[in-house]
Amino acid sequence: MSDSIHVLTRIGMPAGDSVPVIRRRFSGSEGLRVAIVAGIRGDTPEGMRVAHQVCGVLEGCHARLNGTVDVYPCVNPLAAHRAIRNWPFFDQDLNRLFPGRPNGHAPDVVAYALTQDVRGADIVIEMRGAHPSFAEAPQAHVRRGDTHAAELAKSVNVNVVWARDPSVASTATFAAQFQGVISLEGGTGNRLTSGVGKALGEGILNLLNVVKVLPDSEVPFHWATMQRPLMVEDSQVHRIRTARSGFFLPEASPWDTVASGDVIGRVVDPSTGALQETVLAPLAGKILAVREQPVVFSGSMVIRMVEQVDE
Amino acid sequence: MSEGFSLETPFRDPFQLSELRFGSGPLKVALVAGLHGTELTGVHALNLVAGALRMARVQGQVVLIPIVNAHGVEQGTKRWPFDDRDINRAFPGDPGGSAVERIAFALLASTQADVCVDVHGGSAAIRELPQVRVPLSGAELGLARSMQLPMLWRRAGDRLEATGLVGAWRERGISAMHVVGGRAGTLDVGHARTLAHGLLRLLHHLKVLKHSAADPAEVQVDTTRQGVRYHYSDVGGFWVPEVRVGDRVAPGHLLGAVTEVVGGQRVEAVRAERAGIVMSMRAYPVVHARELLVRVADPIS
Repeated sequence: MSDSIHVLTRIGMPAGDSVPVIRRRFSGSEGLRVAIVAGIRGDTPEGMRVAHQVCGVLEGCHARLNGTVDVYPCVNPLAAHRAIRNWPFFDQDLNRLFPGRPNGHAPDVVAYALTQDVRGADIVIEMRGAHPSFAEAPQAHVRRGDTHAAELAKSVNVNVVWARDPSVASTATFAAQFQGVISLEGGTGNRLTSGVGKALGEGILNLLNVVKVLPDSEVPFHWATMQRPLMVEDSQVHRIRTARSGFFLPEASPWDTVASGDVIGRVVDPSTGALQETVLAPLAGKILAVREQPVVFSGSMVIRMVEQVDE
Repeated sequence: MSEGFSLETPFRDPFQLSELRFGSGPLKVALVAGLHGTELTGVHALNLVAGALRMARVQGQVVLIPIVNAHGVEQGTKRWPFDDRDINRAFPGDPGGSAVERIAFALLASTQADVCVDVHGGSAAIRELPQVRVPLSGAELGLARSMQLPMLWRRAGDRLEATGLVGAWRERGISAMHVVGGRAGTLDVGHARTLAHGLLRLLHHLKVLKHSAADPAEVQVDTTRQGVRYHYSDVGGFWVPEVRVGDRVAPGHLLGAVTEVVGGQRVEAVRAERAGIVMSMRAYPVVHARELLVRVADPIS
């Protein structure tokens, strides 16, 4: 039984100091091992906050856990230090370097150390964080066809579980290294969004309870408060793009319900404010993400929505 | 100059993908630079080629696109500055997609030639000997050798993804090459001239130009990955080079040293393990452990 901090790897800096990448381990009796990874990109403080929230609960009850929970609160500390997405030196996206190399340069070594350390975990949760230009509804992403992960993801208190096909670049992502990864995101990149961190943090604790790692007595909320998510695939998620460039003014918020033809935003001339385009919902459904950074080109995505499906 | 693809742009005039077309008839050759906004040596090289083509009689049609990422060039950013997307990871593009996807789609459509070349600079931290990178075998190998650039690097074709321009060209059956020289963020006039001469030799080889405007060249390296030795830093510090790209070194030759950032004490001496040509040199001096310092390639004996 333990609550320990382990230095996964230490990044030596040219000026002589070093930066540790840490893992917190909470373990009780024998049982499943769950890995919770945050901060692979430095502009995702929401995920780091959730990691700390979960740690805060586990600190008080690790001896009563039926299994082990490993929390990696910030994998990319150099980027988080500057609130930027990529590893600062050479501007490398750490989430395109997995599984990493043991003898490569610093981001490769970090990717390798994390991959090796997580290997063997029964459940892997990645706190991905939203892009800074968008406000996202709380959502879980799983690989399409991974029914076990999709089933588990129903417990994480999100609005949507999205079963996704892998992209061209995805072989080098963290999530591609393991079976059954559940990636969580919500809110806005580089910001903490009221309610989102609490929802995701409670969702992870609920999942730990559902898989019997966290005893009922330690769950700090009632299970009935958990969201029942929509289950969708790529074909049910639609990206709405602007036809004109300019200044996008949203008329919808994450998780609003819209009917086909509803006004969901407007594009105005950035110099005069004159209306250039009215953006309409092409179908009935729920708003999954809204562009918050208002400057747009022709073809910029401004809204992502899911089709109306039976809840 | 003709204006190709145009994209409405907030706060300013539309973005234009500017093309320089020479000759007439079927498109034989397309030369592209400036996909990355900081790789300026390639931009200058294509402008030098344009100067030569203006003075020449061109057989068939050639298109030059010296700057793709014009906004990145203006702002000194490698990627498209608006959303920090890499245009060279957006192919084959999408005419209804985001800005970089539309640019990628239009660029691919404008460059459906028999032979295509994408010219890049080195990274911001590394200076590269002017070189052409091609697959281990196939039509590109002969074309690349006709350029007589200082270095020809034969590499496994799977290193190129279809989301990059060269990979997208090859997926469409086009003979495509990747040319690199200099360092991002700087203009190396000598390397630009070397690259331009290589491209003019290629046009001569393809009978687009009757006469080659370029001087004979010395090819120093023609090798594969096995013929390139990578030297990495063991420790972080301040890299002080003792050689330059293109230098010939012997085994044991001091390539440079890593010193303490404060105090300057030497903490690591980096020496050549075998004889060769310095093909890549770390230019930005602050290094972390296990970063690339120097690449030395087997010379042509």
